Amino acid sequence: MKSSVIAIIVVVIALILIASAVGIYVVDHNNTAAKTTPQTLVVEESQYPDSLDPAVTFTTPGWEIMNQVYQGLVAPNGTSETTFVPVLATNWSISSNGMNYTFYLRHNVTFSNGDPFNAYVMWFSLYRTMTMNQAPEFILGQNMATNNTATNNTFNITPTILNQINYTSPNSTDIQIMGNVKQSVQVVNPYELTIHLGYGYNGYLPFNQFLMTLTTPMAAAVDPIVVEANGGVVAGQTNQYMSGNAIGTGFYKISAIVPSQSITLVENQNYWGKNLPQNQLNDAISPPHIKYVAIEYKPASAIISDLKGGKAQIVEAPVTDYSTLNAIKGITVKLLPIQFGSSQNSYFVYMDQLNSSFENIDVRMAVTYAINYTGIINSVYGGHAVQWIGPVPPGFEYYNQTISGLSPYNYDPALAAQDLNKAGYRSVLPNQTVLKGIRFPTLNFLYDSDSSSQISAAQIIQQNLAAIGINVTLKGLPFPTYTSVVFGLASNSTQYPIGINFYTEDYSASIDYVSALADGYYNGTSDYYNSTVFNWSVNASTSFNDTAIAQNLTYITHAMYANYSMAWLYVPYFMSVNANDVTGMIPNTAGSGAGYFMYYNTVQFT
Amino acid sequence: MEGKQELAYFILKRIAVSLLVILGTIVIVFLISHYLSRDPAALWAGPKARPSTIAAVIKRYGLNEPIWVQLYDFIKDFFTGNFGTDPVTGLSISSEVFFYFPNTIELVLTSLLIIILSGVGLGYVAAINFGTRKDAIIRIIYTAAWASPTFLVSILAVIVFSSYLPLFPSSGMYSPTIIPPARITGMFILDSLIGLNFGDFVDGIYHLILPAFTLAFLNFGIITRISRNGILGVKWLPYVKSARARGLDEKRVNRHHILRNGLIESNTVIAVMFGWLVTGDVIVEEIFSWPGIGKFAYSAISGDDYPVLIFIVITFTILVIAANLIADIMYAALDPRIRLGGSE
Repeated sequence: MKSSVIAIIVVVIALILIASAVGIYVVDHNNTAAKTTPQTLVVEESQYPDSLDPAVTFTTPGWEIMNQVYQGLVAPNGTSETTFVPVLATNWSISSNGMNYTFYLRHNVTFSNGDPFNAYVMWFSLYRTMTMNQAPEFILGQNMATNNTATNNTFNITPTILNQINYTSPNSTDIQIMGNVKQSVQVVNPYELTIHLGYGYNGYLPFNQFLMTLTTPMAAAVDPIVVEANGGVVAGQTNQYMSGNAIGTGFYKISAIVPSQSITLVENQNYWGKNLPQNQLNDAISPPHIKYVAIEYKPASAIISDLKGGKAQIVEAPVTDYSTLNAIKGITVKLLPIQFGSSQNSYFVYMDQLNSSFENIDVRMAVTYAINYTGIINSVYGGHAVQWIGPVPPGFEYYNQTISGLSPYNYDPALAAQDLNKAGYRSVLPNQTVLKGIRFPTLNFLYDSDSSSQISAAQIIQQNLAAIGINVTLKGLPFPTYTSVVFGLASNSTQYPIGINFYTEDYSASIDYVSALADGYYNGTSDYYNSTVFNWSVNASTSFNDTAIAQNLTYITHAMYANYSMAWLYVPYFMSVNANDVTGMIPNTAGSGAGYFMYYNTVQFT
Repeated sequence: MEGKQELAYFILKRIAVSLLVILGTIVIVFLISHYLSRDPAALWAGPKARPSTIAAVIKRYGLNEPIWVQLYDFIKDFFTGNFGTDPVTGLSISSEVFFYFPNTIELVLTSLLIIILSGVGLGYVAAINFGTRKDAIIRIIYTAAWASPTFLVSILAVIVFSSYLPLFPSSGMYSPTIIPPARITGMFILDSLIGLNFGDFVDGIYHLILPAFTLAFLNFGIITRISRNGILGVKWLPYVKSARARGLDEKRVNRHHILRNGLIESNTVIAVMFGWLVTGDVIVEEIFSWPGIGKFAYSAISGDDYPVLIFIVITFTILVIAANLIADIMYAALDPRIRLGGSE
């Protein structure tokens, strides 16, 4: 037979086989889907996790996986951001001065691979996070450290020590090291652990949000046997194995990872919580209802398409898609209370006060009054955002007290032009009258070029500023580079003296925003620092008296407001989007599940 | 014998030149990426990183060394097989590339098969029916496909075939609940077949169809055009007229005298196209969330992840060099009139 004929026959057979296979699959898939739908919850979002190591990940998608697979000592109590429930601890006590937290740990807890959990494991886990010293380490590093060799040298936990200890059956030397009372984390006995605050960079001070910091993945229990079998702990370095694998004590474990495509969680068959009586369970530890949670990472076009086709039950989407999503049948779209928006993105325009152009408060006032806040909110977000006054974000604890007597900055181009002229610069009134002065220098205006909403907002602000006589050159940077500038050291931003910035929570507490935006460290982009404000910030984070905390936060808010340190822009609402038959999501601003809830174990669908 | 020696010399010469090209690629990409990324440590350390964290990153990646020292270390590590750790993901760079690359090959080979079948077939039909309505329609189709923006066709494919006609999944390489088979080739459908896991195989095919046809649709035009032109180039040559004059059946003339000789150029372009598709499917992979090297390259570029980016560019370079080499060899092998190197 001729080769061409053979080739044609082969191709035809191949096509028939493929077509048949697809046909069989489609039929089978539909039937399977009908049979197994309640077994698999499909969640879709856009960003793949940065890492699967709880000591490294610092993104919402990363924390979403961590919260299902790993567990810490405590967790937020349902929707509350101020009360907590026990997870790997059964209960805890706090010393009267707020410096010592003693946790009594659960017995019979195991990792999904069967390895045991105890106080030694928790000791290892906390020191591992601090030793690795990755970006989110500061969440623990505020109050704890691996050593105090610079002060009175009572402890120095090195990687060698961490890697040498036998955490299942420690010898007397190991127990002596872990039991040292003069260190950050002390093992009292195999099921009792005390954390001593005061060794971190906050200094010897209590921290009223310490329990909230312990709800983050940085404080999750990690299996030392797994770590030691895969490279151990190295100071200042990530661990290749832990970056791509996750073995925790949680109710789910990872069943499949397709990098950049999906991560699938399967119920942990060895989950310790299954053995607890009903009256000891809480939302953070209950066994899951759904066997599989498939989290897929897709572009917006595919997410909307899948939602329409019923292929996804929960999705994360920006509020700018609100109308599109609302038009899809069988889908529930809700604008969550504003604190959920705050926990994601609280926007402001920064003005670098170390730059000569913004030393003058009149210039900062001019910029502040030149911006059409309502115009941006309506144009960019379809009205689904609120103006705010920082640094405490709207909806968070104490926000209403802090802004009492203040109104959000208003759009007043005439006042803006007068302020600019008062600073000695040429400006233009709304009626086109030119007020004489020297021309304001053209400055670079920074924004995130990966964000369509920031692109639109930057263009509007550029027009607003040009209208009064301030010309800026828009400089967009891709998100990773942009964040390295706005969340980096002050020197990173010198070439961008003004721009759009935002804050997103590290842990769910007002003080996280306040200390970041008001104490001159992370707000390198504005370089606003005032020692009195700093002291108020310290008072607000160390006091256990609500009135005193509110008072100090109010002082800070009013001081920054009067200083025009930032032009507080807006907080877009955050949406929950799910199929109508999905229930059980418990919203909490500390949560990362689809951006707004902690755990998938409570989720159900029919 | 002389021909074989000439071919061997040609291949050796090309390999030597290729090594220089790879070295040059490393140097150029390294310097460009270093220039563009002025503060990689801040970026790799992550947002809000403390100065001590940034210092650790600088130390680990030798970023405080002069750029020539960094370049020397990089080249030395590369040629000794030490590809290092991805500073953004914390994973081994070689493991990442060896995961993503076969996924791209799977997509590209499937697309290429579709391109060959449709491109050569339509080119043949158009040429045989030169000047007719059939020819005109085929030319319109391939020109339109060739001119279509990749992002537009990809998004339309998702909207039409996944949303309005929910025939195929919108994205992904296989269903997320599947536990992938043992990696032998790294290509999911092939590994499923080897592991005799037909359910996974079918699932893989089901996910492959839409992105593969989209990529093929965007690229079949060039093969169609070259096939058509090649066939037209020989259609009226004297030896074809002679065949007809000898009374041969028209179909036989078309297949044996026209098609075979008219497709020499297409064959060589197909080899080049393989390299072209691998390097050019970034947008398709991004829109279909296909976990391939293109998608990986995209994330590396946006994350200033230049250790990974250099590795990917080198992979692409090697592939394009190999594809071109194969094309040259095929060209010489298929057409004995052609002499390698151009000398007599």
